[in-house]
Formats: sequence, C-alpha cells, structure tokens
Amino acid sequence: MSPSSIQGALPMRIAALSIAVVVIQIGVLSEVTVFGVNIELAPLLAAFIGLLCGSIPGAAAGFAIGLLIDLALVQTMGITSLLLTLVGFWAGRLREIRDPQGALVPVIVGAAAAGVAFVGYALIEFLLGVDAPVSLQLLRDIVLGVVVDSIVALPFFLIVRRALQGSMPEDPRRRRRSRRAYSTGGLSPLSRS
Amino acid sequence: MYGKTVRRRRMVLALLVVLSIILLTAYFGESSSGGLHSVQRGFMTVVSPIQDGANAVLKPVRSAVGWFGGMLKAKDEANKLRSELAQLRKSVVAERSDRKTLEEGRQIAEVDSHTQLAGYRRVAAEVLVASASIWYETIDIDKGSSEGIAVNDPVINGEGLVGKVTAVAPEAAQVSLITDSAVKVSARVAGSRQAGILQPKVGNPSDLLLQYLSGKSKAAENDLVETSGTVESPYESIFPAGIPIGTVTSIESESSYAVNVRPAVELHGLDHVQVLTGGPASRSSLAAGLASLPSVGGSEGSAPETGVAQVEGG
Repeated sequence: MSPSSIQGALPMRIAALSIAVVVIQIGVLSEVTVFGVNIELAPLLAAFIGLLCGSIPGAAAGFAIGLLIDLALVQTMGITSLLLTLVGFWAGRLREIRDPQGALVPVIVGAAAAGVAFVGYALIEFLLGVDAPVSLQLLRDIVLGVVVDSIVALPFFLIVRRALQGSMPEDPRRRRRSRRAYSTGGLSPLSRS
Repeated sequence: MYGKTVRRRRMVLALLVVLSIILLTAYFGESSSGGLHSVQRGFMTVVSPIQDGANAVLKPVRSAVGWFGGMLKAKDEANKLRSELAQLRKSVVAERSDRKTLEEGRQIAEVDSHTQLAGYRRVAAEVLVASASIWYETIDIDKGSSEGIAVNDPVINGEGLVGKVTAVAPEAAQVSLITDSAVKVSARVAGSRQAGILQPKVGNPSDLLLQYLSGKSKAAENDLVETSGTVESPYESIFPAGIPIGTVTSIESESSYAVNVRPAVELHGLDHVQVLTGGPASRSSLAAGLASLPSVGGSEGSAPETGVAQVEGG
C-alpha cells in the first residue's frame, strides 16, 4: 500500500470507528453503570486518536465525535465538540512533543482526558447557568467516572490501535524500533559518515 | 516547512474551537424552534430507525452486561427489600383498623384518577436511548408527532410517573425524566389536598424533594406521593391528577414543609413507557363546560388547593 493511500484510509477508519463507538456508547453503555456511573468512551477515543495519529486528526476527530453525541442525545450543541477538540489536540501534542512509550501511558492519558472532559463539562454548564446539582454527588460522579474510564482505557486503547493500524501516519512500534536502532548506533546516519 | 506545519496546526485548532463556540452560543441563544434545534430534530428523525435497529441488535449485549451488574447489586437489593418488607408489615398491621376508611379513600382516588386520565389517549412506546450524561436525565422513545405526541405530554408506565416529552420528531421523541433538574411537578401527598412542587433534590438527582407544602399537610414516611393536577387556567397542570410518583422516605424539614420522595418508577433501565396525549385540550374543554353550567356553582370546588404558582416545565 502506498503512503498516500495509507493517509487516505485514515479519515475513513477514524470516521467508522467514531460512529461505531458513539452507537455503542448511546446504545449499550448509557444503560450500564459501573460503581454508579456510566463508562464514557468518547473522551478516550478522542484522546487515543490524538495519541496515535497526531494533534490535527485528534482535534478533528474530537470535534466530530462531540458533534455526533450532542446531535444524537439532543444536548446543548458545541459543548462536547469544544471539549473533545481540546482533548484530542492535547493528546496529539503530547505525542508530537514527548512521544511517551510507557505501558501505562494510555491509562494516564485516558484518565486525564476523562477528567478534562467531565470537569470542563461541569464548568461550561455552570457558566451557562444550567440548574444542575452542585455537590459532593457531582464530585463523586466525576471522580468515579475518571476511575472507571482509567480501568477501561488500556483495553480500549488496544482496540483503537488495532482498528487504526496500517493507516496511521507512523506506526509507533516501527518508530520505537528505529529509535532503539539509533541509540545502539547501528543505523544512525552519523555512524555511516 | 516546520513553521508551515505549526501555522496549519494552530489554524485547525482555532477553527474548530471557534466553530464550537459559535455552535454553543447560537444554540443557547435561540428558541426551541430555532435552526440548530431543527437540525437536531432532523438528525433524530434520520437516526431513529438506525437507533431502533441498533437497540434491537445490542439488546442481548446490554442484557448480559446488565445481568452481571444486577448480580453485584443483588445482595444489597435483597437486604433493602427485606427491611422494606418488615416496615410494610408493620404499617399494614397499624393501619388495619382504618382499612375501611382507607379503602373508601382509595376508591375515590381511583375514580378521580380515571376521570382525569379519561381525556387522554395512551401511546405505548419503546425506549431507544437513555442519556449517558449525568447532566441530562432523558430518554428517547420510538414514537413521535406522527402518533399525536406533542411537547409537554406526560409520560407514565405501570409504576407511575416517568416524565414529560421535551422534544418531538415525526418518529421519535425525547422525554425528560422526573429526575431531570429541568422538570418540576405539581404534587401532593395522597389523601391530602395540599399541593407542593416536586423536583430533583440538589446534590442527589435520584432523590426527589416535595416542597412548599402548607402546614396542613401531614406527611409521614411511606406515604404515597401523587400528581396533584389542576384544571384552572392559567395554572393548568400538564400532569393529570392521581398518577403515583413515589413514596415519602423522610421529612426534610418540619419548618419548611418539605419531604424527600423516592420515585416509584425504576427510571434507569426503562424499556417501555406510555405517553398521554391530547389531555390538556380535553381538560380545558371540560373545565369550560363545567363553568358554563349554572347549576354547578363554579369549578373551584373540584380543583385542589394548590396555593402555589404553576411552575411545571423547564
């Protein structure tokens, strides 16, 4: 497969994955509670697309996923899009600047994404003056939501990576291998000169 | 090259953020008949058959996951039910002596409620989607305006009041549950004619708070709470009288006459509901008819003493 066709396949795969996740989110997970809260896959998906594909795909996917959720659930339009855009972009920048490789990176990124999404949603709702419960109950739901999303983050990351594999701009494993090779000096352009 | 990439990245981010803020501002500023709301209703119309299909396909998965979740909660539920059973036995023994009076009251209440519901047409609907957010307590159902469903129609099931319709598309509708912070219901303790306002309790939306009761209301634990309904315009209630809402769990404050209420309906995991359509118009015509009869002597006697402004809706 040529590099251009790989790049072309990425938006299609992201779109298909986003639609599937939103359908599962509102069709199944909205009625399943763990520790009294729902599993929220949308922030995780936006963050993982950013983490695997970069900041621009992450932000664009976050915006589209948020818009889809706001439309499907007849919520205030724009809130989820705004938050997931920022989540996707931030995860993408993390990849571009730090390129973290640890096994727990998806868990930490997932927890941070869920935290940003939940707290951000609460703040925007408060700013908009929505008459909503403000209390320890809300705090508890946010904390438990982050915990539950952290638990599902790793398996979900593997699913997202599997779904996007082959069309990502740069395969993380290939990147790691090349980095290892550079560190040993075997394939470094400097060693050839 | 690097500078171009950075500029492109910043431009995309700024574009998406600005687009989101424009959407948010426009949506929040417009009325429910505005363009973006129409787009949402249109989207709901388009995706409701897909949601219907997905709902049917994913139902076994949801049931399986729900079964595991249910098993985990079963022990707690059993203990809670045992203690409730013990309480109910005690109350049955205590109230046996007043059974005759209670039966008469219940019969009157039943007749009352049937009279109130007689003007409604019931539309059975299946629940398609439950809101995943802790901010919105809503469900989507598979029947809409093509079945005569309109905004503000009351929604019930076999256990009691579920909520009211807040958005309608031809083949689907959105229902805000009674635990949604935007829904307020005119309600009373069964047997009392003093109405108050029922709304989700701040800090615990799954618990309801019936407040603004007058001092004459003598509520006790396990008392039934039902819709009070009114037929007097302009304070006409959108909910007919006599629909069970829940039971009193505790007295919140003696001084402010507020009681905590546990919903009678298990609102999470609803599968089927009934929408009461066409009611308010019928009740308006009934009230107008009664008022026009000289021998009736006015309709005030048939209306409950609400003593509060009608604030149902959101």
